Amino acid sequence: MTILMPEPDQSVLARRDEIIAALRKIVPGEGVISSDAEMKPYESDGLMAYRQPPMVVVLPSTTKQVSEVLRYCHQNGIKVVPRGSGTSLSGGALPLADGVLLGLGKFKRIREIDFDNRAVVVEPGVTNLAISQAVDHAGFYYAPDPSSQIACSIGGNIAENSGGVHCLKYGMTTNNVLGCEIVLMTGEILKIGGKAAECAGYDLMGVITGSEGLLGVITEVTVRILRKPETARALMIGFTSVEAAGQCVADVISAGIIPGGMEMMDKPAIHAAEAFVHAGYPLDVEALLIIELDGPQVEVDELIGRVEAIALGCGSTTCQISTSEQQRLLFWSGRKAAFPAVGRISPDYLCMDGTIPRAQLPLVLRRMNEMSEKYGLRVANVFHAGDGNLHPLILYDANKPGEQDAAEAFGADILKLCVEVGGVLTGEHGVGIEKRDLMPEMFSDIDLNQQQRLKCAFDSEGLLNPGKVFPTLHRCAELGRMHVHKGQLPFPDIPRF
Amino acid sequence: MDTLKVRDAQEVEDAVRAAIANEQPIEIVGHGSKRTVGQPMATNAVLELSALNAVTAYEPNELIITVQAGAPLADVLSLIDSKNQHFAFEPMDTAALLGTAPGAGTVAGMIGAGLAGPRRIKAGGARDHLLGANAVSGFGESFKAGGKVVKNVTGYDLCKLLAGSWGTLAVMTEVTLKVTPRPESERTLVLRGLGDVAANKAMTAALGSPYDVTGAAHLPGSALRTTAGALAEIAQPDQSLTLLRLEGITSSASHRAQSLRTALKSFGDAELIEDDASAALWRGVRDVEPFAASGPRALWPVWRIVCPPAAGGALGEQLSRESGGEVIYDWGGGLIWAALPPAADGHAKALRQRVEKIAGHASLIRGSDAVRAAIDVFHPQPAGLAALGSRVKRSFDPSNILNRGRMSRGSAT
Ligand SMILES: Cc1cc2nc3c(=O)[nH]c(=O)nc-3n(C[C@H](O)[C@H](O)[C@H](O)COP(=O)(O)OP(=O)(O)OC[C@H]3O[C@@H](n4cnc5c(N)ncnc54)[C@H](O)[C@@H]3O)c2cc1C
Repeated sequence: MTILMPEPDQSVLARRDEIIAALRKIVPGEGVISSDAEMKPYESDGLMAYRQPPMVVVLPSTTKQVSEVLRYCHQNGIKVVPRGSGTSLSGGALPLADGVLLGLGKFKRIREIDFDNRAVVVEPGVTNLAISQAVDHAGFYYAPDPSSQIACSIGGNIAENSGGVHCLKYGMTTNNVLGCEIVLMTGEILKIGGKAAECAGYDLMGVITGSEGLLGVITEVTVRILRKPETARALMIGFTSVEAAGQCVADVISAGIIPGGMEMMDKPAIHAAEAFVHAGYPLDVEALLIIELDGPQVEVDELIGRVEAIALGCGSTTCQISTSEQQRLLFWSGRKAAFPAVGRISPDYLCMDGTIPRAQLPLVLRRMNEMSEKYGLRVANVFHAGDGNLHPLILYDANKPGEQDAAEAFGADILKLCVEVGGVLTGEHGVGIEKRDLMPEMFSDIDLNQQQRLKCAFDSEGLLNPGKVFPTLHRCAELGRMHVHKGQLPFPDIPRF
Repeated sequence: MDTLKVRDAQEVEDAVRAAIANEQPIEIVGHGSKRTVGQPMATNAVLELSALNAVTAYEPNELIITVQAGAPLADVLSLIDSKNQHFAFEPMDTAALLGTAPGAGTVAGMIGAGLAGPRRIKAGGARDHLLGANAVSGFGESFKAGGKVVKNVTGYDLCKLLAGSWGTLAVMTEVTLKVTPRPESERTLVLRGLGDVAANKAMTAALGSPYDVTGAAHLPGSALRTTAGALAEIAQPDQSLTLLRLEGITSSASHRAQSLRTALKSFGDAELIEDDASAALWRGVRDVEPFAASGPRALWPVWRIVCPPAAGGALGEQLSRESGGEVIYDWGGGLIWAALPPAADGHAKALRQRVEKIAGHASLIRGSDAVRAAIDVFHPQPAGLAALGSRVKRSFDPSNILNRGRMSRGSAT
């Protein structure tokens, strides 16, 4: 393990039995898990190279229990790591040796469906897909659709501000949530927002979304639902160069078209996917675009024609257009299964998640190929092409000495490159532990201090999910200190008011 | 009143540091077009950002624009318009409502105020379009939030806090915003003579339809009586207008307008208004023209109420009946603008009682100095949330230097 976690607090570990007994009083029965065997499934999340058994697992089923657990932990200086379904790819739900792992899996109820206000109120353990399924009969759905949607929880989606293939047009999680109930580390329960479009005061919902479980534990969520588009059709377009495919994406956007989805795969990804699901992908192309148009039939038909013409103009060599729902899903099947498909051709893989200005794509791919040679590791690429979000998959074998370290170094180089060309470290998977130590690539100490000051407003003792997101932990008192002193004006020439 | 006009981000930092050292709160101003919104501020020193007015980078293909904080909104809008793009959240122009100079207003002022227009129901608000910012905190430090790409989850999303914070957290010096293609065509369906509750039902049906409605507004006849402009031109005496907008490529907008018209038959026979004429109507709604400061209701306080959309009609009807005031509805009922007859508290107490019953909130956007000093301009929050809000404020501005007291009465000292 190359990432250091905060030093376990021995005084907490020494009190483990007492702490477990106290937690059992709050959450009775099977809600507290403390045997090594039973805690095993909670040792890691989707970033499986990292494992750590927690001190104890607690699975509350009411907000009151969450509040009491947090209050107890706050009073006793015990760290807490929230967990939804454990599909995070950045290690956000990695337990701490001296911490409580607080699983929200029992919060499974859909509390209210309000079609008139186009809102659904759910508990945080409800899966992303279950929300769409619950409103499907009336022709509605919940728009953000991470590929993990059958498993990941809405609470985890809020914490990570998750995206999906449709977020170019319909937004990320943050653009589709209206409110939540959150429990602070002190045990205080707060209701933020609701069915109205905006909450009063500062946009706390906005900053809680994407806060990776560091600000509070979400115990209820109100999401916005949309009517399903009348129809959707997809084009599957092949190019002999990534540059040409990239040009096609740019031309579609500059023609004023924002497709429902616009995904790109490079040759290794195409081959892996085709071998796995037999979607009929062309194997002699360097890049494949899947572009989906959705909306009323007349609109979709017309835009399909426009996109096809743009693709031809960019030198596409193959172009298939779906004529049935079955065919559209077939086009997507390879893209949606890209991660497991790559999993079949390599014992292990690391999934990266940087975003770049789209114009930099050819450069970034060229540099990635050079890195691939340098590290002696293969890479397959899938992209959310419309918004420049790359998912390079680095193939390696953890059983070969040195390969995991090499893969991680390769991944870090890719992310540094993303920042260098004007992009960011993560487009949708979050920082977690995986990108934590790269944060200084993108943010100065001052930037990070400001973010951590905000953390202090929610969790002054730093007990909630410490060791994630921020490379260095500071005490709140230190962060809050003002370094400007009266009488010592740094800039004496500024006119006094 | 002392005004310091800064020319670059470094000068902003210097000025804020000097203010901190001297314990001198400062008011942050762009063009000053919205200075009358909020609690009266406890300061007589002004930091003016209008000279930070450059467009740093505009990349239509990347769907982003980066501008300095004080860039004039009107100029930026025409720049992106020249590439057939727009800010999808349709920022309102407050000039008519507040009675300030037409066309005034900076980009950062628009973000700080966070007043989105009719398309918010589909495209979100200012907060959904602010991708990144450079700002100077009340620690006197320049920090960066977010990034310059459309998709980013690296670190806390501080941009969300800056949007709608009325300059109380940090002084933005540069912002990156998402731009999107402007729709090719627009169509508006007009239903006449519906009562508020029936209109609310019609808008709810339209927004729950698959026809992708991007504007849903209702203007009662009495509110239109004294209006000038495009809305007045299509209005009949004492008859309400319910407007539903469809946008997109021409074939699609027309097709959906026809389908929606059929779907709403039970509410009446809708008329169709196209393109420029349609756009003029929505500008009127966006800018709350019926309550313009140049009109007969100039002295009436104007409230902005945000509530669950399907509950808006009943609330608005009750408010206007009880107070003798006027209301208009946007966002399918989720946004109510209420102009109420003058009163010492601007009707704050009675209005908020009603609004809270349906889990909404209300801010006074236009009001005399005396009324604004006497009441909470922004909706008071429950104790726990208010306390968290002040902790958030202190985490950016511990000595309460920036726009002191503008957002909450308690913090004036
Ligand atoms: C095969 C696969 C495909 C994926 N595809 C996508 C994709 O397309 N797009 C995308 O964005 N992501 C994707 N992911 C990543 C992952 O699914 C998302 O980040 C998801 O939102 C995590 O949800 P979870 O319930 O599993 O959260 P967890 O992994 O359990 O936790 C994630 C983080 O959220 C915090 N957390 C969880 N619940 C709560 C709560 N109730 N309150 C406070 N904090 C909480 C945790 O502390 C942790 O920091 C994929 C993952 C896999 C394995």
